[in-house]
Amino acid sequence: MKNLLANLWEKIVTSRPWKATFRYGLPNNPLDRSLIMTESLFFHLHPVKVNKKSIKPLYSMGLGIITTVMFIILSITGIFLMFYYVPSTELAYFDIVKLQTKVPFGQLLRNMHRWGAHAMVLTAILHMVRVFYTGAYKPPREINWIIGVFLLLATFIGSFTGYLLPWDQLAFWAITVGTSVATYEPLMGKTIQKILLGGPEVGQASLTRFYGLHVMVVPAVLFILIAFHLWRVRKDGGLAANEIPDEMEAENDN
Amino acid sequence: MTTKDRSFSRGSRKTYNLVEIVKSPTTMKDRGPENTIFAFPIVAILELALALGSTLFLILFSLLKDAPLEELANPLITTDPAKAPWYFMGLQEMLEHMHPTLAGIILPGVAVAFLISIPFIDYSKENAGVWFSTAYGKKIVGWTALYTVISMTGFVLLDNAFPPRELLRDVLPNLITQSVIPGSVMTFLVVLPVLVLMRTKKEKPTAREVMLVLFTVLFFTGVVLTLTGFLFRGPGFELYLPWAMPNGYNPLDGL
Repeated sequence: MKNLLANLWEKIVTSRPWKATFRYGLPNNPLDRSLIMTESLFFHLHPVKVNKKSIKPLYSMGLGIITTVMFIILSITGIFLMFYYVPSTELAYFDIVKLQTKVPFGQLLRNMHRWGAHAMVLTAILHMVRVFYTGAYKPPREINWIIGVFLLLATFIGSFTGYLLPWDQLAFWAITVGTSVATYEPLMGKTIQKILLGGPEVGQASLTRFYGLHVMVVPAVLFILIAFHLWRVRKDGGLAANEIPDEMEAENDN
Repeated sequence: MTTKDRSFSRGSRKTYNLVEIVKSPTTMKDRGPENTIFAFPIVAILELALALGSTLFLILFSLLKDAPLEELANPLITTDPAKAPWYFMGLQEMLEHMHPTLAGIILPGVAVAFLISIPFIDYSKENAGVWFSTAYGKKIVGWTALYTVISMTGFVLLDNAFPPRELLRDVLPNLITQSVIPGSVMTFLVVLPVLVLMRTKKEKPTAREVMLVLFTVLFFTGVVLTLTGFLFRGPGFELYLPWAMPNGYNPLDGL
């Protein structure tokens, strides 16, 4: 029986469709464990080898990965929410009520999007704090730190634009208070607020703009920045815990 | 130094080799160069566990707690208190204590500019990838965090009890009471721990140590102000204990 399974397995991984799909063998040996990292779309974000220190749970706490996972969950649940939601001041609120009461798993869907958004903001902040305290912004990672700062700001904007969409009292007044901060900029403040809201106060034009920003612009910006951020992590040598003191350099400095 | 120089040590006058027989395929038995291991499968397992774990946690939490939905938006009825989302409550709290341009534009702008400039102020590669860099760094962070929590809470409470904008309204111009006084107090609170660091350390503090102080002040100021605004501000944006809010207001309902 065991032999039969092994034979079958062997047949599958040596078959033409398998070899056409995966250009590496079963990753149980050093060569294929290297190839899987260089040949597969997902794993190419990773180095072939990592420092044991960098995978210790208490080093990075996985905060960057959790933030990315939240972004993926938000994208998926967000698409489903778009199926049931019309960004109109007449309909939006009642669409949400209908979603929660009539649509199967509608309430769960909305809950996951709401709590996931809060979680993403929180983990993005904690990720920045972790990166700072571990000194992971030091050269050659300066630019990735700056991309990270912009990612945090984009995350704020993503969450903030989504806050208005349920069109309830909480949403309306939070956005009224939030956008009023822009008016305190002495030169352009009023103009900035008008551009954001599409008028002097929160109304249909604001809902349309926030919806467009929330479902299209911000996710696109986040996607591009995240891709750039991950690529930079890889190019800068993985997590900073992979850094090893350069013995030759130390020798030369003495 | 070029990479070429790095590969071999130059000018070595070594004319001998030490050789030993090791019973394994390579001398790095069970240990890659620089203590590395193959990323596959351990990294894949860790990432999968994190993804599944956080998704599961989110689903469970979503089953237990419903997202809030209040009445239909009504521009004619202001909610009391009217609060921004929690991550902007630090900003809204600052608006209570100083001129809006200072609280809403200048200080946040300074904070972002500071964050962006960190890697260009502290550009030494030393101790990258080590929490708090050194034992001394850990001590700096601990004391600065304690100092910030106490001083910022004190600032909020004192300013709330004796607001200079109201008490000195007829005595001094608005520019001084709303901007110069709170701005100077904030600057003093931020600079003080840096001065303490310079006095306590015998040699000149490193850029990293100064950054540790400033970032810790920024982060814990954000925490104190956000928690104050989010949890301790009730109707009329007055300070209350979160569990003793009037009118049945619960700050957690506004998440």
